[in-house]
Amino acid sequence: MRLLRIAKEGARALAAHKLRTFFMMAGTIIGIAALTVIMAVGKGTEKKVMKRVNAFGAHAIMITAGGGKGFSPPQEGITTLRLEDAEAVRTQTGGVDVVAPFAVKRGMSIKAGGNQVQTTVMAVAPEWHDAWEWYAADGEPITAEDTAAMSRVCLLGTLTAKDLFGDQNPIGEYIQIGNVRFKVKGILQERGVSPMGDEFDRRLVIPLTTGLRRLFNQDYITNIRVKVKDSGRIESIAAEVRQFLHERHHITPPKEDDFAIFSAADIAKMARGISGTLTYLLGALAGLSLLVGGIVLMNILLISVGERIKEIGLRRALGATRRDVFMQFLTESLAVTISGMVIGSVLGWLVSIILARVTQFPVVISWEPFALALGFAMIVGVFFGVQPARRAARLKPVEALR
Amino acid sequence: MIELEGIQKTYTSGSIQTPVLKGISFRIEAGEFVAIMGASGTGKSTLMNILGCLDKPTAGHYRLDGTDMVSLEDDALSRLRNRKIGFVFQQFHLLDRASALRNVMLPLIYTDPYPEDAGARAERALTAVGLSDRMTYKPSQLSGGQQQRVAIARALITNPSILLVDEPTGNLDSKSGAEVMAIFQRLHRDGRTIVLVTHDRAVAEHANRVVLLKDGMVAEDRPVAQPRDADAEARVLAGKETSK
Repeated sequence: MRLLRIAKEGARALAAHKLRTFFMMAGTIIGIAALTVIMAVGKGTEKKVMKRVNAFGAHAIMITAGGGKGFSPPQEGITTLRLEDAEAVRTQTGGVDVVAPFAVKRGMSIKAGGNQVQTTVMAVAPEWHDAWEWYAADGEPITAEDTAAMSRVCLLGTLTAKDLFGDQNPIGEYIQIGNVRFKVKGILQERGVSPMGDEFDRRLVIPLTTGLRRLFNQDYITNIRVKVKDSGRIESIAAEVRQFLHERHHITPPKEDDFAIFSAADIAKMARGISGTLTYLLGALAGLSLLVGGIVLMNILLISVGERIKEIGLRRALGATRRDVFMQFLTESLAVTISGMVIGSVLGWLVSIILARVTQFPVVISWEPFALALGFAMIVGVFFGVQPARRAARLKPVEALR
Repeated sequence: MIELEGIQKTYTSGSIQTPVLKGISFRIEAGEFVAIMGASGTGKSTLMNILGCLDKPTAGHYRLDGTDMVSLEDDALSRLRNRKIGFVFQQFHLLDRASALRNVMLPLIYTDPYPEDAGARAERALTAVGLSDRMTYKPSQLSGGQQQRVAIARALITNPSILLVDEPTGNLDSKSGAEVMAIFQRLHRDGRTIVLVTHDRAVAEHANRVVLLKDGMVAEDRPVAQPRDADAEARVLAGKETSK
């Protein structure tokens, strides 16, 4: 094929001028390497974010008693968050699907048979299962009857069950929380680790009313879990709930909030951390390298056209058409950027692996950056190769041979 | 076969018109060895460019094997050069970084369909000019005479209708020059059509016919009764060298 023979001529010219070819390639190499790292870090981060968000609940908003900027467990002794707040959010704010008030107590001592553990007890409304999408894997969930009757029943997290009962089936068995005996009515589904690193499966769930009156002896709650209908609107719904609670609690700046709200969107932001900034920086580097590299490539090619006027004239005399000359220089440009892309991709891939080893950045290696890099390499090669190639093709053979 | 009919070429620079060729007509039959001779400034380079289809005349007709090149587009002219014309230049114009063999194969890159036996053809062409033992050499490793012979092999590889030769001995010493001229004479005996452009009467008289240009016109067109024998000249020069 004629085009292939002409492309080979271009490749030979590049191979004959290795240093010049390297300079033509440098920008593409750096640009594509940066692009590859961005994609690897970006994908890794999104994976981490998805994992965190899914652990938290993609549709979830969490209201926690006590102020503070961080996403922290409820503070002891904050009495301002009440069941009425949960009821008001359910009936007076839009877009909410399920509202589940609950109260958490950490470090409660649990006994069963000869075993004793310290763990977190959660007293929950029946809606809690739906709000968390966290159900009984075995046995029965907390029901409205349980809360109405203040039943002394509980569900165990899988790890709590293991800690207390080993491999034995705990359903139907009794445990003791503080001084109160509870019947185990079910085992919760496995949930893994919370966004804050808590073991979700080392928990214990009892009916809300039983918890408040019989165990904790309090009339306030520590959390309200809200599940929204549309996860896309989660930030605006969270803002609405915050506004609503400000009004209910008569909070106006500079008075500090007596509650904190976190939504899945906040969790995603936290999980992204500085990787967003890193992506912008590397993106700027990639763009700049490709642009500067392209301009350098174009100029070296233009110089090369000037140096090779006689060669171009000779080729024209021997039968090369304008298009043949154009294609030779364009394929030289493309060969430079595509080779640069291959080197840059390998380099970026190595940097990503090293980055994953020595830092906490989550990195995912995939094929997409290579496809994107090839696309960019071809765009840069064509864009910056056309001008020199046209100049070469426009040379008149008579003048070029002089 | 070449037919020139009233060829004119005028260069225009702003409002100044410089006529270089002022109506040139002659025919060259297949198998002829013709020298176009003239001092510098007589328009012989311009005529050479037109004969090589590198440039078009301002007026007149130029038919090469019956095709009028004046009406052809640039791409068609490129194809015509590739198929019909073998160029030999004064400065050889070889690619520095390519071997003799690759230099000879260069025109075939632009030949469709690409001949399957391209490599074998290039080897035969190099053997024909006496360079069978220099095929992998780069131009810088060859003498001037050898470089010009590589260029001749390159001109022959497409089996063109005419060999268009521009001052082939201009950059060579007299012995190498005689050897190169001997090759052209041999090619002529084998039936090649050769058009030699030169300012040098001694070189021109190796051909069988001389067309003398003066001031953009044909001043003289005559057969050479007794062409000089380049082979004999080369032998004499070689003898001188050894007797030194």
